[in-house]
Amino acid sequence: MPRRGVFTFLPRLQQSEGDPMTMPAIASLPARKRRRRSSGWLGLAYIAPAIALVTVFFVLPVLFTLWMSLHRWPLLGAPRWIGLGNYLRMFDDARFLAALGFTTHYTVVVTIAIFAIAFPLAFFVEKQRPLVSIYRTVIFLPVVVGLASASLLWVWLANVDSGLLSPVLQMLGLTERRLNLLATFDTAFLTVIVMVVWKIAGFTMIILLTGLQAIPTELTEAARIDGARPWQRFRHLTLPLMRRTLALALILSITGSILAFDQFYIMTSGGPQNRMISVVYYIFNQSFVSFNLGYGAALSIALLVILVLISVVQLWLLKVGGERP
Amino acid sequence: MLRKLLFATALVSVLGSGAASAETINMWVRSGIGDSFKEVVKAYNAAREDKVELTEVPFSELVQKYATAIAGGQAPDALSLDLIYTPAFAAAGQLEDMTDWAKSLTYFKSLSPSHVKLGTYEERIYGLPLLVETSIFAWNKGLYKQAGLDPEKAPTTWEEITANAEKIRALGDNTYGFYFSGGGCGGCAIFTFTPLVWGAGADILSEDGKTATLDTPQMRKAIDIYRNLVAKDTVPAGAASDNGVNFLSITNGKIGQQSLGAFAIGTLVTKHPEIDFGVALIPGVDGKPSSFAGGDNFVVTKGTPKLSAVKKFIEYTYSMEGQEIMAKYGSLPTRGDIADDVLKGLDPRLNVAKDAIAVAKTPYTLQFNDLINSANGPWATFINAAIFGNDVDGAFENAQSEMQSIIDAAQ
Repeated sequence: MPRRGVFTFLPRLQQSEGDPMTMPAIASLPARKRRRRSSGWLGLAYIAPAIALVTVFFVLPVLFTLWMSLHRWPLLGAPRWIGLGNYLRMFDDARFLAALGFTTHYTVVVTIAIFAIAFPLAFFVEKQRPLVSIYRTVIFLPVVVGLASASLLWVWLANVDSGLLSPVLQMLGLTERRLNLLATFDTAFLTVIVMVVWKIAGFTMIILLTGLQAIPTELTEAARIDGARPWQRFRHLTLPLMRRTLALALILSITGSILAFDQFYIMTSGGPQNRMISVVYYIFNQSFVSFNLGYGAALSIALLVILVLISVVQLWLLKVGGERP
Repeated sequence: MLRKLLFATALVSVLGSGAASAETINMWVRSGIGDSFKEVVKAYNAAREDKVELTEVPFSELVQKYATAIAGGQAPDALSLDLIYTPAFAAAGQLEDMTDWAKSLTYFKSLSPSHVKLGTYEERIYGLPLLVETSIFAWNKGLYKQAGLDPEKAPTTWEEITANAEKIRALGDNTYGFYFSGGGCGGCAIFTFTPLVWGAGADILSEDGKTATLDTPQMRKAIDIYRNLVAKDTVPAGAASDNGVNFLSITNGKIGQQSLGAFAIGTLVTKHPEIDFGVALIPGVDGKPSSFAGGDNFVVTKGTPKLSAVKKFIEYTYSMEGQEIMAKYGSLPTRGDIADDVLKGLDPRLNVAKDAIAVAKTPYTLQFNDLINSANGPWATFINAAIFGNDVDGAFENAQSEMQSIIDAAQ
């Protein structure tokens, strides 16, 4: 089976330690060592621009955020060292815990919805059929729209007076009078979910499609000859062989959902009675509405830790990079 | 963007200092401030040797940008600051103390009292009125006539407003009797809704701003009035999720009555001449009117070398000439003593907005953003929950305790 997934680099690195190809023979040690050392420097030179970029735009900002998170850091006035005060405050902060709860709820719902739509779509566009490239393009199109623009578009669609959805629902006789979709939590949440699925499902579909296409047809044929029914083939052949692709799609989807901000900020301003405040939204509010930059920084670090933990757990659950075939 | 801006202002100040004794003041204004102040600056620059260099900063980023500019030593000499932010900036020690000079002005006592109060921190004056804006009640005379109401008679109680709203709503499908932005627009609600309780002698914060006093009989009554307007279907369904974008709904000609700001009088007169409207003060729940005084304060960055030039410019804006230009472009006079002369010959409806200054209030708090303005703050949430939700008691309870906890956390 192909081992070219994104997550194969870890075991590869470990393997190379004992790889006979790189084990130097005793006799030619000095020459090889020199070459290895110079090629090491050369390699470093090659990746230096990348290291510089990552350092300047990721490592340093994270370190600075960490430093800020240990202070009471107002936008105006002098920062004051308070040690772990910001981190302790988090645990009693009902609004932060509520944001965490809502983000979890949203992530679970939207991830299930995206996969429920994207998987059938991937099967649909995988088979060679007439116009399949047009289908692929059409389904993928919303992905290239920016999330903020898509949110604005849907704000208009969902507008009760000048939009599209409410009048259509009324015309079809589904609602007695025009329903303000964004006014109550359930309908507003549903609108956001539908928007995000419309926007993201095409991307997940493309990822799943690459996984499906990497499965050799001989295997499917062999299974069919052995008498496996479609569901059995899916369950025992397709799914296991797509493990790496699924892991990639899941991690991208879950990480993206946990970092959700634009759709709530633009479509509902935090939702009817603040019930749609995601964690990132709360961090934004703390930092730039309440001007508590230190607390915002601490919340960001906490979110970073949560994201890393979730990704590690997912990789472990899906056993990506493990010894199983 | 910011750096470019700073560079430009720095360059201007270098050039300015080179030219003889004339000085150039760098001043920031927030976007959306309207034309009135820009016109005053234009007139000043044309007539005087000193110049004022205006830089417009997006209103949502003004606080951040000003804070970073102070840290980088590139702050402007003066700033037009939304008046509710003045206490917070003064408390942070970034503004010039203007107490002695301000009190030496002969007309000091007639400057808009709400502005001076918000510009005062611990007995010292850091901000002086620049733009004055009050909230008023407006009605569409055309719709009044169609509904068989007297178009020249201003309603003076909320019972009357509600009855009129129902009659206007009865006109048909898309015509509504009343409008307000009820979906997380704290700024809209404090501007147009709190006058209902202020008129009746209650307030949402205690005098010193340290106790939340939301749950009063007056507030309960005000909420009931709005709930009733919604229940009787006199308010468009979009109001429940309007975060302020459609605040000027009355301009579509299908809204019978709405509480607005004085700036809206200017907008209606200049941009929607087809709408014939009347203006009155916003009645309180027991009929006694009130208003919200908003607008901008003039503040000066601490330690600016151009203090005397800034003072000269402020005096110019307070002169008859300066006040007249501002009023012409839709800003109310900041000086009560000459207000009548200034407004002579302008749209008479501006007089109602001017008279509102005398009964107007502004909550004094360092946490205005957190408590009131933020779309996710307790006040905005309360308005939506109490007027459109099913649990009024719960809404009062939550908002009261959250407001108090925000105030306590900041002490």
